[in-house]
Amino acid sequence: MTSQTLQKVDHSALKTNQIIIISLNILAFILNLPVLAALVALVMGIGSALKVPGFGIVYKNLLKPRGWMKPDVLDDNPEPHRFAQILGFVFMTAGSLALFLGATVLGWGLVWLVVALAALNAFGGFCVGCAVYYWLGRFQLFGFTKQPPAGTFPGMKPKAGVSV
Amino acid sequence: MSSETLLRFILAIGIIVLGAAAYWLVNHRLLVRAKNNVFTLFKKLPDKPVIVYFTTPDCVPCKTIQRPALDKVRTLLGEKLQVIEIDASERPDLARSWGVMSVPTTFLLDARGEARYVNNGVARAEKLMEQIQALYFVNELTTNRKSGKP
Repeated sequence: MTSQTLQKVDHSALKTNQIIIISLNILAFILNLPVLAALVALVMGIGSALKVPGFGIVYKNLLKPRGWMKPDVLDDNPEPHRFAQILGFVFMTAGSLALFLGATVLGWGLVWLVVALAALNAFGGFCVGCAVYYWLGRFQLFGFTKQPPAGTFPGMKPKAGVSV
Repeated sequence: MSSETLLRFILAIGIIVLGAAAYWLVNHRLLVRAKNNVFTLFKKLPDKPVIVYFTTPDCVPCKTIQRPALDKVRTLLGEKLQVIEIDASERPDLARSWGVMSVPTTFLLDARGEARYVNNGVARAEKLMEQIQALYFVNELTTNRKSGKP
């Protein structure tokens, strides 16, 4: 494994983003609101463009200042997490389009897939999108240059307890 | 709440329960795997709880957090606990057979060599102590039941 410079990544912001995505998508399913699923896709898209977690604003402006959620800053690569959000955005957009076109099973299936992957990340500490990023990196694809932090299985949350 | 919303709500709960069950199964499988591989570590059971600690030389949190936590637990419990440290980079076969995906990973085995807890990632001393206490509590209950004590 070659040495690389890791950055400080606040996993609490990522977790907040994932939990909001899960909650809104489940709510969209229960209330049969494809518009809400499309809104989630839109926020994820904006987050991807700005290179921040889409719903990270809730953490930054509400949860963190009030001390409701503590920072969980780890030495990590932010790029795989961005890639994971882009993947989520693609799935959510495809799901929303399918719902608007009347393909409800496909649409809600894609929405639930995003819920499952976000839940695996939020509660299991395994980021499938990040694992895909590292896997593509093994083929030396352009842009996929980062390697997992030392001692960490690709996609698993790094375990260093660096606090700020 | 309309019947369709209620149906969707029940469906959502069902999907969530299924997902949680799948996650529990994966963790359970990891513990079973550890149980099946216990004799790769010792020929004879140590008759006391054992922490199997997977680490690597370049793992920073292992040095800064996990090892001090284990030292603390070892100091508190002394001879009542055995800690087995495995360098996953030297023994990748062992790490693979135990299903270790990242370091540090700690398994807590009871005196019968059964893996009872798995901690993927750093497990602080408090957490390890809680798990060990729960282990002793269960053991005490089992012993009391066998001897007919209330």
